[in-house]
Amino acid sequence: MAITTEKNNMPFEVKDCTIITRMGGVDTAVNLRELRERVTICPIECIFHHFCETLIRPTFDDPEFRNDFAVWSARQLRDRVLAERLGVINPYSLDNFEQLREIVLDIIDERLSELVYIPWVPRGNDFRFMRGVTVLFDCGVELTTPEDLVKQLPNFSYSSIYYHFIEARRRTPDKADDFSAWLAGFGSGTESLISALKGIDFYYLTLPELKKSLIKATQSPGSEISHAHQIVSSL
Amino acid sequence: MHTKSLAAYENVVGHVAISQLKQLAQDLAGARVVHVNSTRAGGGVAEILQWLIPLMNDLGLNASREVIEGYSEFFNVTKTFHNGLQGSPVALPQSMIETYEQTLAENADRLRSTLEKADFVFIHDPQPAFLLDLCPNRKGKWIWRCHIDVSHPNRKVWNYLKRIVSGYDASIFSMPHFAQRLDHPQFIIAPSIDPLSEKNCELTQQEINTTLDRFSISKELPILTQISRFDRFKDPIGVINAFNMLNSSVDAQLVLAGGGATDDPEGAAMFEEVQDAARGNDRIFLLLLPSNAHRTINALQRASIIVIQKSLQEGFGLTVTEAMWKSKPVIGGNVGGIRLQVCNHQTGFLVDTPEGAALRIRELLRQPKKIETMGKTAKEFVTYNFLLTRHLREYLTLMLGLRRGLENYLIAA
Repeated sequence: MAITTEKNNMPFEVKDCTIITRMGGVDTAVNLRELRERVTICPIECIFHHFCETLIRPTFDDPEFRNDFAVWSARQLRDRVLAERLGVINPYSLDNFEQLREIVLDIIDERLSELVYIPWVPRGNDFRFMRGVTVLFDCGVELTTPEDLVKQLPNFSYSSIYYHFIEARRRTPDKADDFSAWLAGFGSGTESLISALKGIDFYYLTLPELKKSLIKATQSPGSEISHAHQIVSSL
Repeated sequence: MHTKSLAAYENVVGHVAISQLKQLAQDLAGARVVHVNSTRAGGGVAEILQWLIPLMNDLGLNASREVIEGYSEFFNVTKTFHNGLQGSPVALPQSMIETYEQTLAENADRLRSTLEKADFVFIHDPQPAFLLDLCPNRKGKWIWRCHIDVSHPNRKVWNYLKRIVSGYDASIFSMPHFAQRLDHPQFIIAPSIDPLSEKNCELTQQEINTTLDRFSISKELPILTQISRFDRFKDPIGVINAFNMLNSSVDAQLVLAGGGATDDPEGAAMFEEVQDAARGNDRIFLLLLPSNAHRTINALQRASIIVIQKSLQEGFGLTVTEAMWKSKPVIGGNVGGIRLQVCNHQTGFLVDTPEGAALRIRELLRQPKKIETMGKTAKEFVTYNFLLTRHLREYLTLMLGLRRGLENYLIAA
């Protein structure tokens, strides 16, 4: 099979990021009904923060649930049914974050209709709505070939992985990760690599796990990706 | 006096963290930044400013510090503010407000020119907050940095202060649960430790041993330590009860070290209670240390196998951060900022009772491998999240954000 690739003239500029958090500008919620009211009116950045930026905040990864609403439901409201329903949502499988807000509201409404009383939390354990400002840094590293990407991935910081592989889906129109978008610029020859990256079920992984998955997918001898990499390298 | 440059921290935090600071600082080069607080030395705020200002200058900013002055009557008023903001029932008569505003008016006469010319003014805590009203021709951004827990303030005190701080361009709190609703942006910036300070720097084994010898603490038996004031909220009696629960099954020593009893009548009474609770047990060491005993505290933390911070109420709990930096698992009270740092079964254990503390001490002492693993995780967590370079980065980010506008993205340099 003849494979041809085109030269991608745009180098891949490696970025890193951090976030600084600020209050979301809405009151706290001390019970499930208040949570519903606040979710309705909070800025969409709060929804993004509590679902997606949990990965790069200075907190430990919660292995049980990935988003703050599910964690609060489980730990503070002590409602595991609600926590599981909220916890299974993958925000990146949706068209946009307004759709995510609607789904969260729908799940809360459903739960409110099932309960005979409104669950409350003790003082001090209320839900605080937050939002983040993403700060971007230039790492001073440019990749020019797919081989560079494979070689450099082990050197990427976790926050850099987050920015290019996860956060990218918030800012690109087709919700692609930066690696795949860049590789697509090479034309044919990188399809397998792109396909393997797209196959990673990243939302339920911690950043260290995600980095391992990315490295494994691109470096495992005999894997589809390595094969694609070899083809690209030989061109 | 803090003399360390940014380069000194590169070995600890890595090149990337320093590079990020430099990128953020590029657009702030030459910016006049003034920090205002109420004490030149002593206390957490003064400690932070001692490293923050030199490092900001090292990055090319023009940072300086001003300290407000006042008579004891003024500081009695601000102490009332402090207690009231932390929820104590206090009276705030008009005479107190007049003393507060009059003293700051006198300070403003001295500081007005500097503050009005500054690009950024950070006002630390409530003591100097009223200066904003006294600098009507200010040209820069004014930020109120609140270091204390104002989650459940006395309404009378908060209503007075809220009117003042609402005029600021932004405020900073240490934790989301400390914040109050205000109409300007409220940032969350956690405290940090200086890894090269006397309290946190590496020590030789010889210095650690000398410290233990000084207090006749055995080097042969495992040491459990709680470093904190002898204060009811730090629950030293609870720690002793926990230790007594396992005394028959575990060979270890308990060290309770801290200050605070000499100048505080309540503290002195508490220390007597602690002495009564410890009486007759020669494995318990009670150490009253002066406020500058940083190397002694460092040595005690490093000599310990487990560090305890069984507080019943806590702000952030920097002693927890210090212990984790020294690769120690922490058994901490399930309150305040301890919950942000101690993650159950990963960097230590959160406990609600002396029984819980006893259970986890025993669990750890029987599993040295777990102590090692937790300690390593704890140090990594602090390295990434609670060192002064992260703290500085967030200050710079906030300043850039206020200058450029608070969008979802902020591009450094």
